Amino acid sequence: MAQATAQHVSESHTFEIRNLRAGVETKRGFKEILKGVNLTIHTGEIHAIMGPNGSGKSTLAYTLTGHPKYEVESGQALLDGVDILKLKPYERARKGLFLSMQAPVEVPGVSMTNFMRTAVTEVQGHAPGLRQWVSEMSDAMKRLRIDPKFAQRSVNEGFSGGEKKRSEILQLELLKPKFAIFDEVDSGLDIDALRIVAEGINRAEKNDHFGALLVTHYTRILRYIHPDYVHVFADGHFVRTGGPELADELEETGYDRYLPQGKSESALA
Amino acid sequence: MMTQAHQTDAAGFRRSGTGRKVLSAEQKARLAAAQANASEAQRIEKARQKDREDREKAAQKSTSPTAMSSAVSDDAATADQVKVPHFDPKHPYQFPALMPSSADRAVRSFDPSDFATPSHSMDEWRYAPINDLQDFFSPFEASGTTQVTAAFEDGTQLAAQTPANKGTSSTPVTFSRLSSDQLAHSPAGTVGKPTDLPSALEWQASKHSGRFWWLNVTGDVTKPIIIRIHGTSNKLDAIHIVITLKPATSAQVILLHTGVASLAEGVEVDAGQASNLNVTSIQQWDDGSRHLGNQRLHVGQDAQVQHNVVSLSGKIIRLRMDPDFGGPQGFLNMLGIYFADPHAYMEHRTMVVHNHPGCKSRVIYKGALEGRGARSAWVGNALILPRAPKTDSYELNRNLVLSPGAIANSEPQLEIENGDIVGAGHASSVGRFDAEQLFYLESRGIPEVEARKLVVRGFFDELISQIGIESVQKNLMSVIDRRLAHGESAAMTEVLEDN
Ligand SMILES: Nc1ncnc2c1ncn2[C@@H]1O[C@H](COP(=O)(O)OP(=O)(O)O)[C@@H](O)[C@H]1O
Ligand SMILES: [Mg+2]
Repeated sequence: MAQATAQHVSESHTFEIRNLRAGVETKRGFKEILKGVNLTIHTGEIHAIMGPNGSGKSTLAYTLTGHPKYEVESGQALLDGVDILKLKPYERARKGLFLSMQAPVEVPGVSMTNFMRTAVTEVQGHAPGLRQWVSEMSDAMKRLRIDPKFAQRSVNEGFSGGEKKRSEILQLELLKPKFAIFDEVDSGLDIDALRIVAEGINRAEKNDHFGALLVTHYTRILRYIHPDYVHVFADGHFVRTGGPELADELEETGYDRYLPQGKSESALA
Repeated sequence: MMTQAHQTDAAGFRRSGTGRKVLSAEQKARLAAAQANASEAQRIEKARQKDREDREKAAQKSTSPTAMSSAVSDDAATADQVKVPHFDPKHPYQFPALMPSSADRAVRSFDPSDFATPSHSMDEWRYAPINDLQDFFSPFEASGTTQVTAAFEDGTQLAAQTPANKGTSSTPVTFSRLSSDQLAHSPAGTVGKPTDLPSALEWQASKHSGRFWWLNVTGDVTKPIIIRIHGTSNKLDAIHIVITLKPATSAQVILLHTGVASLAEGVEVDAGQASNLNVTSIQQWDDGSRHLGNQRLHVGQDAQVQHNVVSLSGKIIRLRMDPDFGGPQGFLNMLGIYFADPHAYMEHRTMVVHNHPGCKSRVIYKGALEGRGARSAWVGNALILPRAPKTDSYELNRNLVLSPGAIANSEPQLEIENGDIVGAGHASSVGRFDAEQLFYLESRGIPEVEARKLVVRGFFDELISQIGIESVQKNLMSVIDRRLAHGESAAMTEVLEDN
């Protein structure tokens, strides 16, 4: 399991979120979404974050990676003791943070291969050798069963849901982050695509030993990716933490008990 | 004004009083309302997606993964930047489909005295800096300072037309300057008629000074042909280029405009039945140049014409394209790219007329504006005449405003006079950088400035890669890369500070 492999790692890192409060500016004023988030992740650990829709999971992912829409009110996110919340998004990526987005963005006219090579060059600080690059990229694509001609297509443009998510994992494998956040990497995937994506994450975990935040609404993906911790996220903060057994409990009971009085998941959906 | 208002002219334009069935005002209103409907834009994007899939399928017949959701994220158009007409029942005549057909209104004539002098109160001239164009509006003598030469892309020469090689298959293409004698027996003046005062004056000036050139394609020409139009002074000049393709022939032609010029230019393109033409007009003028052009195109039955316009530099560029069809099943694909500098003005008008059944037209123009005072206008019209059932047309214009103080005008129009069509639609947008795109790139370690460059490069590359002539595509992308590298220090930092 994840922890077993971690002992082979020479480098070990810590990502610590402390009392994070953040929100968005709306027409009706500032809206706080994250209401005091605390969490510590170490290299090799997989933390599943489960919670009802609208509880702020994506906001947490975006705030940590620096999306301009989200404003931090207070708190810290320390990567090996350095607060990254003041850094620009690309600086956070260079420090080793990666976000697999719930809805990857289309960038017309920018080919996957150009984009990926630029990204790897920026993150590594030097351009990878061309021959090595080509073989690394095509191997990774093969493993994720991505059609080779996708390399020449515009970033995410016209990709199906599953293709978008596999392309996110491709980026994960090539960028080799220290900490990775997967925002609903399982949503909209059929069972085959889910297996390919989960295998990709497990393989990257094994090779590159990152710490992971696996944000998910459903327990299905946890059959393939085994978390060390399961957290319940509701109304902008963590309300419960446990081991893998907590996921089974959520499977049984759903999120209703974590929602405000009188509301239910099914009613929200 | 117009002298032959009650006939159908050679180009097939409907004149009033011909007794042809025209939709009632009510029918027009219904169509107009349907057009104004928001779902229209979606349908266009779907059509675009379908085109992309078709292209892909054609490219390699192996099983391709089916493309799913591909809603292209549009920047929200800001009110002060975009002027898109909306259908308003209180002002029915604001919406083009409710107006009398432009075929009835538009003056088309070789006689300058048929046209009123341009002023800002005239629809066609409301964006152009007419104060800086006054010399184009009265009769002038062509200075002859613009050099016109043609060669194959690889440098080899084109044959001049002689009585001996005329139309023979051993010489599939000839290029000649026409003497006044030859002019009378040439196709010059047969593709439509001038559509505004400067183009009528251009015709007169070109005729007076013998400024006509004819590229005559009589077979399959495999190598791209470059017609170099090089200006050597600011003295007002006129040239007139005629490009004809015999039935079932093919050619790729590039009109490359460089140097310093004040040029009134007429271009006539006659693509014969089942011919295949790819024609690209590149405007890469030196600072201070002014260029007014009228490109009239006639797409023959079953013919395929790809018409590309790439405007990269010059002080004032105003090009009006007037295409129509010579028979059913023609396909006209128009692509346009413009990249306006600070204080440059670039206007492109695509006035497509569907005058035969079953023809298809696509118009996609994309522009970026960089720096204070950069201005652009795109006006597109698709006129679908009653006699053109099964028409399939759409027009799309996107503008990326890279820095504050730049203004893009975008005006898509439709005049649908036939209810039995495959499709007609338009979409238009003016916007700044898409924050989601930039964040996506930045979250992968790419700094803001690089991310912006990638997005702009992609914005253009999407169209440039469709031009279809490798060397042209490469050259254009390297010009754009140079502009972006240069802009990084000036306009780009301005953007960064502004945001
Ligand atoms: N950019 C935004 N503007 C306004 N409200 C937002 C924005 N992003 C998220 N929200 C709101 O914040 C809450 C949490 O959203 P989100 O983080 O997407 O939740 P989750 O990912 O858990 O479903 C929701 O009520 C959502 O509507
Ligand atoms: Mg979410």
